[in-house]
Amino acid sequence: MSPEFDWVALALLAVPGLPMLAVLVLAIARWVTGKRATERVVSSLAGFAFGTSTLASFALAVSLIGSESAGYVADLGTWFSVGHYHFSWTLVGDRLSLPFAIFSSGLVWTIATFSRRYLHREEGFHRFYLMLSFFGAGVLLVVLAGNLDLIFFGWEIVGLTSALLIAFFHERKAPVEHGLRAFLTYRFCDIGLLSAAVWLHHTAGSSTLTAPIEGMNWATLVIPQEQADVFLLGVFLIWASIGKAAQFPLGGWLPRAMEGPTPSSAIFYGAISVHLGPYLLLRSTPILETNVILQWIVIGIGVATALHATFVGRVQTDIKSALAYASMTQLGVIFVEIGFGMYTLALVHIVGHASLRSLQILRSPSLLHDHHHLEQAMGAALPRSGGHLERLVPSSFQPWLYRAALERGYLDTIIVDWFVGGFVGVVRRVDGLEKRWASLLAGEDSAAVEMGAIAQVEEKS
Amino acid sequence: MINMIALVAGVAVFLLGFSLNVGLSFSKARRQALFGLSVVAVLYAIGWILANAQQLPVQGPSEAETLLDASGSGFLIVVPFVICLVGIVAVALSDSISHTVRTLRRILYLLALAMMFVGSTEPILLGLCWMLSPVIVWTELRSRVECRGASRLFAIFHIPSVILFIGAIAVREFGGSSLVFVAAALGAIGIREAVIPGHTWFVRFVEEAPMGLVVAFVAPQLGVYAHVELLMQNVPSEWAQIVAAFGALTALVASILGIAQTSARRGLAYLMMSQTGLVAFGIEGSSSVAFAGSLVAWQVLAVATTGFAMTLSALEARRGELSLKEYSGCFSRTPRMAGGFLVMGLGSVGFPLTLGFVAEDLLVQGSVQEFPLLSFVLIVATAFNGMNVMRSFFHLFSGVRVHTGEADLTNRESWSLSTVLVVLLLGGLIPGAITSREFSDADVGARAGAEVSHSIGEASEFVK
Repeated sequence: MSPEFDWVALALLAVPGLPMLAVLVLAIARWVTGKRATERVVSSLAGFAFGTSTLASFALAVSLIGSESAGYVADLGTWFSVGHYHFSWTLVGDRLSLPFAIFSSGLVWTIATFSRRYLHREEGFHRFYLMLSFFGAGVLLVVLAGNLDLIFFGWEIVGLTSALLIAFFHERKAPVEHGLRAFLTYRFCDIGLLSAAVWLHHTAGSSTLTAPIEGMNWATLVIPQEQADVFLLGVFLIWASIGKAAQFPLGGWLPRAMEGPTPSSAIFYGAISVHLGPYLLLRSTPILETNVILQWIVIGIGVATALHATFVGRVQTDIKSALAYASMTQLGVIFVEIGFGMYTLALVHIVGHASLRSLQILRSPSLLHDHHHLEQAMGAALPRSGGHLERLVPSSFQPWLYRAALERGYLDTIIVDWFVGGFVGVVRRVDGLEKRWASLLAGEDSAAVEMGAIAQVEEKS
Repeated sequence: MINMIALVAGVAVFLLGFSLNVGLSFSKARRQALFGLSVVAVLYAIGWILANAQQLPVQGPSEAETLLDASGSGFLIVVPFVICLVGIVAVALSDSISHTVRTLRRILYLLALAMMFVGSTEPILLGLCWMLSPVIVWTELRSRVECRGASRLFAIFHIPSVILFIGAIAVREFGGSSLVFVAAALGAIGIREAVIPGHTWFVRFVEEAPMGLVVAFVAPQLGVYAHVELLMQNVPSEWAQIVAAFGALTALVASILGIAQTSARRGLAYLMMSQTGLVAFGIEGSSSVAFAGSLVAWQVLAVATTGFAMTLSALEARRGELSLKEYSGCFSRTPRMAGGFLVMGLGSVGFPLTLGFVAEDLLVQGSVQEFPLLSFVLIVATAFNGMNVMRSFFHLFSGVRVHTGEADLTNRESWSLSTVLVVLLLGGLIPGAITSREFSDADVGARAGAEVSHSIGEASEFVK
């Protein structure tokens, strides 16, 4: 253990700890007093927490560059233990987590500062900062987590805060529906992550990150011995990552997530949240490399996402949806890079893409203004883009293709109407049978039972 | 021997219920009941602390308790306190529309019986409590015209449950076949815990009965205690696997049915049913980790689900029947109610920073060795339960601009909810206070060597 462990442990703890402290202070104060703190107090608290986190991450990164160590580990103790099982608070600062921590905390800090004016006198100002801080704390826990259990802990927080911020304008139906959709997708994919954590404990004995293997720059998950276990684990991890990264075929929530406030869209769906999927895969690289099928699954998902998103994104008529599909395209490319083993490129791509995309989304409300500026500078209308594609596609095929793109490649119809709708239909039918069985046992007259059945059919329709 | 403190607390709550004058106004009776329950809770906590501090012989070394101690049953001493908390929330958030003073009395009787049940190892007392609590619920249901169907359904299932339970105790006391005893006890407990196929009464009961009564009957989970008290280490391993499978099946089926509901009460019913399935699953595992998870889940179910259910009831009292077909609320108008509903709901399904997360983690991690497939089922069930909670939250507290005029939680409701909120969150922040003390040495040999603990020594692995 390095002699500077004490300050390292403190710095590692401060990175997610201060934002979490800010959340507790804001939430408890609001619940106990029932009053909102002033905008200045709320934004300053969040700004201070993330500013300090950024500085702490930066100091750790500088220290790591100048040291012989491959990474810092701070074992902060056991959270709870039963018999042989322990849930440990272990934080890791290495060449993967620290770049992520710097840009994540730095971007949240920027957004906290930006939103002070952007959301001034907004009804949900306090709620926004509470959720933003909670989200930031969750992200920093994910990236610094020293075991898969802790990653799951932060992962859940990110999912919940994402859904609540998409539904920020909760008096309108659409944002709420979209927030719920995002949450349902996240939760579905959380099954993969929790299963991976449990399976890793079961097969490898621990979900703790291990020292970098040869050729790797950062700590990774331990590899089970049996090939079948490795494959299953890889599938679970990919399953978890496609939900967060809005990959094919579960990416339909991302364009809809843009219903939230612009600053949260920028940071969640342009910068940080969506990149946690690739982050998880980067932590799992030895597992992916052990089985070539897993690598091809990752590549296949990435290619499908990139093609689908670029196809659909070209016909979007609002800037935030267009940017959402552009993000999905880039994320697909990042998946392909990871699948081909270009990990450092993927990391650079993530940081670059996150920075650019969050800037674009933050500027999106001023799109027309920017457009006019550009036209004035050029002295003419801006040239159309994408003409080369039009020339490649036969004109008789173009309307059909346009329609298909507008319908998002009919993916929503297949996923939501066929799969989810069909599933819910079956469940409601079972529930109807359950109701009828209960009514019969309760001795209620058959007319009432029939009415119940009719109501059930109506509900279903 | 008997846990005297729990028994005395139970008798006190019973007398409190008995002393409530039905001629009182509802609000006055509620105030009395709330005050009495708070006093009992505080006295119980003081008694517990004193007993622990001075090592008073409050618990004798009976055979049953020795068995329990071997698997960490010291945990059970907190159960009567949790029942008091459940009672405080149930009474504080009960409304005068769906509850009467008689209902309050019955709630107190149910809580008293639950405390006595948990405080006792005497077979006769266990049987008596097991028999009386459904009778009290049934009399309340019978007194309500709108609950006639539910009361009949309740009787159809609970009469066999009572007969089986008393039969099981009789078989044990008179030295009958242990298999008959186990089978009868499992049947009785299965019905009481609404484990499939003995669950049909449950949804209608939650749908139609006053919520305070539902909570007082369901939340203490007497079936879990009966299982721990009577059946631990008596169930043959093949049977244990079947029981675990039924628990997992209940958790999964109920969680799936829950997300398709259009009535908030039915959604809540399936959520509760799924949670009881999880507890039933874990309690049969041979792993100490899963067993501990199951016990923690039991208390989470009591605390969080009570808060969740009673907040729903408070909203229902303000708004009328709650549908999940349309979005129908505006949470900025009722922030405390919305916040309490969300935190309680998320706590009950294992969200981080709450005690529910600890329960879920222990349950899943502890059961994977013994039941790999069923532990996956458990994960799916908790995911669906989370969807159910968020779907209910969004439908009930968002989506419309027009405010219907409903008031936020009153101070009484808010403070009582805060009490359980603190327990849930503190339990989530420092779960070691609950788990490590009681379970650290329990059954370590069950899976020795299967997992390695995380240690600070791993830092060396990161040095080049």
